[in-house]
Amino acid sequence: MQRNQVLFLVKFFVILLAAYLLIAWNPVNDRVIVPFTEGIARVSGAVLNFIGQDVTVNGTVIASARFGVNINNGCNGVEAMLILLASIVAFPASMKARALGLLLGAIAVQLLNLVRIVSLYLLGAYQPRLFDTFHTAVWQIIIILAAIGFFLIWSARVAPSRVASRA
Amino acid sequence: MPRVEWRVALRALAGFAVGLALWVFLSPQYDRVIAAGAEKVLRAFEDPPVTRLRPAADRFVTVDREDFDPRSKRPAIPVHDLTFNVILLTALFAASKRPFSDRNISGFLLAALLLSVTHVFGMVAEVMSIYVAKLGMWSRVNYGDFSRNFWGVANHFYRLVLMYAIAFMLWWIFRDRGIEAPAPAKKKKKR
Repeated sequence: MQRNQVLFLVKFFVILLAAYLLIAWNPVNDRVIVPFTEGIARVSGAVLNFIGQDVTVNGTVIASARFGVNINNGCNGVEAMLILLASIVAFPASMKARALGLLLGAIAVQLLNLVRIVSLYLLGAYQPRLFDTFHTAVWQIIIILAAIGFFLIWSARVAPSRVASRA
Repeated sequence: MPRVEWRVALRALAGFAVGLALWVFLSPQYDRVIAAGAEKVLRAFEDPPVTRLRPAADRFVTVDREDFDPRSKRPAIPVHDLTFNVILLTALFAASKRPFSDRNISGFLLAALLLSVTHVFGMVAEVMSIYVAKLGMWSRVNYGDFSRNFWGVANHFYRLVLMYAIAFMLWWIFRDRGIEAPAPAKKKKKR
């Protein structure tokens, strides 16, 4: 493995750990992550009501007479955003390219996460036996794969000669 | 706009399906192996060695200790929650342009082997997080604040992001290099 790849992995891990510790810190979790997750619940609830599900949103809980979901850490897309953040910041690129990558990547992850929450609610309401597998593994992996895929596309664009051929 | 290579995406999807099938159908046997490995690690650091991890129904493992009151309820761990990152690893290796090349296959096998070692440590962190914080007075008597914070953070970090990061890093190290990233879109020449 080349030195620049080792350096990328070391930076990736250090940034990931630092970012995790930051969001796991109670003041940040309570003042940033929880309100952010409540926002996700409101948007998801609005989409579900738009398609006729008649749900109510209370904090991070989306519920109806048929089914209810509580959006916790791990289901709010933040985990994928952390992977995206660590990989993009660890990768050699200009600040502008990184900022643009982070912005577009975060939007993409959150749009996909919206689809995840809506589909999980619908699965729980209408196909409950599939809910666990999709909740635990399927959607979680799709979201992370999307974040990694976005990073690979972004990295190939910002440093095609350095990375796509050598990294 | 970034160009998506649909053949790469389709290969990743196929790898995802294979990984999901492996995870669903092999988990009962695999969970036993991971539980046995985690039990060995835990007992190696106990004096006297008392932890027993017993496979239970619905892909759970029951945490038992020989020094627990026989009448008390035993905590249980959903092992499949700790191991599904194998699906991510399979999808990433399958996305290679030459998924069946010797290099890609051997890289995948080596990465999968190392991933299984991390599953053992993921389970150790899970059991320790139960010991240090979830057994009421017994936890408070036997473990201090440092242990509680360390194992609590280790377990949460593993579950929230580290399990995915490990799969990504193993793929990054052992992949068939230089072929997985889509080529950048060529700029049109000005006439």
